Amino acid sequence: MLGGIVTRSQNGGYFSFYKRKFLFFSLVFAVAGIIWWLSAPDYKADEAVGLLGQEGAKLEIPVAVTDGGLILIDGHAAKKRVDLLPDADEVRLPIVDEPGRSYDLVEITLSLPKTVAYESEYEVLPIHGTGAGTATVIDARTISYRVVDVGSKATISIVAKLPKGTVKPSLKQTLVNNISGIDVNVWVGLGVVLPTATIVISILLVFYQRRKQRIDQPDREITALPMALPPAIVGVLVHQTVRPREIAATLVDLAVRRDIIILDRERGFAFGKHKFDQRLLGYEKVLLSKIFNKSISSNRAEIEKRINSHFYSRKISVVSAGMYILATRLGYFKTNPQSIHAKYKLFGILSFFVGLAGFALSLLFFKDPPFIAFFWLGMMVTSLLVITVASHIPIRTPLGQEVLTNWLAFKKFLSNPAPIPYTPDVWRTFEEYLPYAIVFDCEAAWARRFYDHNFTIPGWYTTDKDGLDLEDFCLSLFPIISYVSRSLIALREPGFE
Amino acid sequence: MTFVNRILYGGGIVLDLTRWVVFASVLIVVVNTFWLTFFIVDGLSMEPNLHNRELVLLQKSAYRGDGLPQRGEVAVVRYPGDPEHKRYVKRVVGMPGEKVKISDGRVYINGTKLKELYIPATVITEPEGEWQIGTGQYFLMGDNRPNSNDSRYFGPVEKRFLVGKALAIMFPRTSTIETK
Repeated sequence: MLGGIVTRSQNGGYFSFYKRKFLFFSLVFAVAGIIWWLSAPDYKADEAVGLLGQEGAKLEIPVAVTDGGLILIDGHAAKKRVDLLPDADEVRLPIVDEPGRSYDLVEITLSLPKTVAYESEYEVLPIHGTGAGTATVIDARTISYRVVDVGSKATISIVAKLPKGTVKPSLKQTLVNNISGIDVNVWVGLGVVLPTATIVISILLVFYQRRKQRIDQPDREITALPMALPPAIVGVLVHQTVRPREIAATLVDLAVRRDIIILDRERGFAFGKHKFDQRLLGYEKVLLSKIFNKSISSNRAEIEKRINSHFYSRKISVVSAGMYILATRLGYFKTNPQSIHAKYKLFGILSFFVGLAGFALSLLFFKDPPFIAFFWLGMMVTSLLVITVASHIPIRTPLGQEVLTNWLAFKKFLSNPAPIPYTPDVWRTFEEYLPYAIVFDCEAAWARRFYDHNFTIPGWYTTDKDGLDLEDFCLSLFPIISYVSRSLIALREPGFE
Repeated sequence: MTFVNRILYGGGIVLDLTRWVVFASVLIVVVNTFWLTFFIVDGLSMEPNLHNRELVLLQKSAYRGDGLPQRGEVAVVRYPGDPEHKRYVKRVVGMPGEKVKISDGRVYINGTKLKELYIPATVITEPEGEWQIGTGQYFLMGDNRPNSNDSRYFGPVEKRFLVGKALAIMFPRTSTIETK
């Protein structure tokens, strides 16, 4: 009920808050898309180039292949090395590219490291304004490429497919070549298996831990509060995390304790400070300072202004942290859930950035296309899974488990469908336990137990509507509380649990 | 407070924004590298079907693995003489094992005249010649036959040099690419 209903006046505000984030992140994607567009490469719809005027010169270029696979053009090492194909060692590169003047004849002589010329395949590729090209074997170690009538815009490339093993590549080239040769399905498979295995192991781990800390649903009911514990702490004990409901329950609890009043008017809602209570818990003080700042009342517009003026709120993060710290100090958790989850998160974040670095390096070192990137992608997804699952690892102490058992027995009482018999204090009981019903997700069931009685509007709730019954009260209060708590919790910094 | 703690507890907006920027970037890089990308046509050799400076959507995954080019498809190909640096956009005309002949201004495949509805009937294909396409090779030509540097000059191209299939023109007009 609290989680689902967002009605009339709250509806626009709730979405207007998220609209800002949505617009911001849409902008991030839009900028990325524009960069993508602007970085689109030019691919030539390459045009023919006719023969240009000749200048009567001859150009001779010696090219040599070394044992290690280096290609030397006129004594200088080319950037490109011999390609290691599955069935051949291939020389394929342009030797003349737009020489800027014309030649009658260009003669390229390729010297090989072994006597393999006769077993090799070879051709010359002359384009952009050249005459005919020929390739011939001179001797067992030499291939000659000749092109006549070479224009100033010409490109002349030589190709020689040498028998496999002609060159001995460097260790790095061998490594890159071997990794590049691994089938795409292996990399995609690893990219899928890695996160799948992680999620399976994580789920098993969480199940194992939960089984170890298993708390049987109690058969009995406890009809009164098992102990004096703030509803938000009960929520943290049950769920091990701070959700909007813990904030909502705290707000209702503060109202029930007359620290604040809630005003529901046709034009919107407002909160008012009712009294100054020195017994407020630390996180409650911070929450109130977030809602009221320094004023004694805060209407919807003012609350929305405080919410919308921040992407994230340190105060709300401190509220969450305060709840975790208190629950831990009471001995319900082995370690502060926030810090234990943060440790897993740290591991996840580090793994994510290792994956990201590997992803970037694989794009840099492997080409056409770098399928190894799927492995690193899998690692990144795995890291995100670790970060997500970290929040669900149970870490309650035996004391926490014992206390939780009592609270679950109390939850059973709250959600029991049987009507509550009338007593003069019946509405006081309803109000007092309402915050606990909210953290147990059973506020609707709790309210239904009181439908048979004449409803009295609580003193902490003021409305300009007449004849409000219990159902109307719930349908008015819960959306307000839901809206405020969800908006506030959304301000929590992502680094916080 | 250590640097790590600052990142975890105090780096909220930085962490969140970084997360989204990284997510968007990785997604675009993966799509761009392995599946779909854009390129800009540079030149006139694909007239009248692709104009100079048009933005075209390219499916990089089309010819990977068992994917084979079909006759009439427009493909991006690495120039076999300089595969690292030069990429051309051309149309697949001849398939592996076929004999391509250019005669009387027309293209013949294994002796049968090829119907090329994607180019105007008045276009003359030159120079005359005959090419036997090897296994795993393709014969590619530009649509602007009088002004295209293609397989007529650098010969048939091995499948490993095909980068992908041009799917559609995206800007400044939007249009699919005719293959027949």
